[in-house]
Amino acid sequence: MATWLIGEFREKDAVASAIQSLRATGVGDKDMDVFSEEPVEFHKGVLDRPSNMALASVIGAIIFGGGATLLMRAAQYNYAVVTGGMPTFSFWGTGVITYETTMMGAVFSTFGYFLWESGIIRKRDKTAPVPAVPPESICLRIRCAGDAQKQKTILQNAGAKVLP
Amino acid sequence: MSTNAEHPELLPYGKIREDLFRPLSGLSQKYAAAIFIPLLVILFGAYAWTVQLRVGMGVTGLQRPVFWGFYIVDFVFWIGISHAGTLISAILRLTDAGWRKPITRAAEAITLFALMIGGMFPIIHLGRAWRFYWLIPYPNMRLLWPNFRSPLLWDLTAILTYVTGSAIYLYLPLIPDMAQLAEHSVPWRRKLYRALSIGWTGSDTEWHALERAMKLMAGIILAVAISVHTVVAWDFAMAIAPMWHSTIFGPYFVVGAIFSGLAGLMIVMAAIRKFMGLEQYLTRHHFDNLAKLLLLMSILWLYFTLAEHLTVWYGNDPGEMAVFGARTRARFSFLFWLMFAVNFVIPFILLGIRKLRSITTGVIASFGILLGMFLERYIIVVPTLSVTRLPAATSAFYTPSWVELAITAATFAAMIFLYLIFSKLFPIIAVWEFKPHPHEDEA
Repeated sequence: MATWLIGEFREKDAVASAIQSLRATGVGDKDMDVFSEEPVEFHKGVLDRPSNMALASVIGAIIFGGGATLLMRAAQYNYAVVTGGMPTFSFWGTGVITYETTMMGAVFSTFGYFLWESGIIRKRDKTAPVPAVPPESICLRIRCAGDAQKQKTILQNAGAKVLP
Repeated sequence: MSTNAEHPELLPYGKIREDLFRPLSGLSQKYAAAIFIPLLVILFGAYAWTVQLRVGMGVTGLQRPVFWGFYIVDFVFWIGISHAGTLISAILRLTDAGWRKPITRAAEAITLFALMIGGMFPIIHLGRAWRFYWLIPYPNMRLLWPNFRSPLLWDLTAILTYVTGSAIYLYLPLIPDMAQLAEHSVPWRRKLYRALSIGWTGSDTEWHALERAMKLMAGIILAVAISVHTVVAWDFAMAIAPMWHSTIFGPYFVVGAIFSGLAGLMIVMAAIRKFMGLEQYLTRHHFDNLAKLLLLMSILWLYFTLAEHLTVWYGNDPGEMAVFGARTRARFSFLFWLMFAVNFVIPFILLGIRKLRSITTGVIASFGILLGMFLERYIIVVPTLSVTRLPAATSAFYTPSWVELAITAATFAAMIFLYLIFSKLFPIIAVWEFKPHPHEDEA
């Protein structure tokens, strides 16, 4: 069973310093989580969370837009309406729907990827404690790897109150 | 004046949270009355619709050759109002305008409700509303598919995309606030907030994902919002009809939409400020900035209106001039010049002269603009159809019937009703966004 440590900080810089020191002891970025009531932004290199959300958004957009265009093309050729001499299928006539469904795809995939990336719809480690963050505070939760006592000391040295 | 009064974001976090969550609790008599009156108007509108469904479209004032009337005016008007929120919020979010923070959620809620209301009108206008599902493309035994070239179907997809996007765009920043409300003392509220917070814990992974999603959604929604009103404009511009078949109709409608949307937002903000006691959070500064935006849009609206009418006048095409004349000199001239006065002259005086600019004058100008934009939609829709082009055809004078008026009144009541419900269930200002993040990198 994993051992968890939670340090409560008042300053963002102290958290950043603790993260850098913990890394040196072998704690990976995936084993550290910062909890706060508001978003906390660190300098680049401190607990970066790379993301493919934009890519997912583009892929979703292409799938939806492409799918809708294929559906319209198939429907218009198989169940043709009178077009008054104009082509049975044309991008001029259906471009608006292609555009809107492309955007719909982007909306759905962005939202879906948000749910995935944030961990909300992923299986979570139920043994991991979720700290109740006091106002104006930041909590750092770590899954201990190696010497837990050393990591606790690092948290304390960085100015954290280590929660039981 | 104290610093906190000028900069409410400097108040302690606990105080902000308390102030913004307070309106959610308790039910006053005033609130009950405020919700009951719109409900009555909605019920009357629903009754009027049942009359139309039972008797047929003959109960409306629509008659040959005016087949588009108040319902289409309502549709364009409400879709325009919907641009208040998401578009304005998205622009301000992408440009990182700090003053947007107390405004965005109120604006985004307007968008969602206005779209819900506006989106109903094509269905009401169909007459046989129960055939609405024929617009949806699905394999069926009739071997019939919708005509994808029809602007009606363009509207359907555009509005569906905008409603979906706006709902998600409104919901995303609500999640952290819902998580904070998840320990609410009222059991049903606790259940609601817990369900809506979908297990939010406030970890940095969640915050990062949320901020990324918000930025992406802002970009997407901006593109969708512009396209939606352009598509609405193309409902007209694709027809080879005088004063509709115009290349600038798309941007003209978008400008008008943002203009009316801002006016709607100004009124809603003033109402929230007064009735929810949020004077400390919605300051004169916010209204001043909104007033400046409104003034800018008023000038842009004038520019487009002039561009649209001047080219028609200079072209001197008989078909176009007949409609132009009906609008500016004959049957519809009173409405046209009233529209000009309330959309440009009054806002220019009230908002342009600094000494006159205040929350009250902003609200007065905004009510005028809403009236003016409704008239603009009417003046676009009805004169073109009233002035016939075939020599044997007779022109008609369209007057909305009580059914159309009742349904129109019900939509305004529905907006008030939905907003009152929303403001009682959810904090109208995003608590976590409001405060400048104390841990943010100052650089």
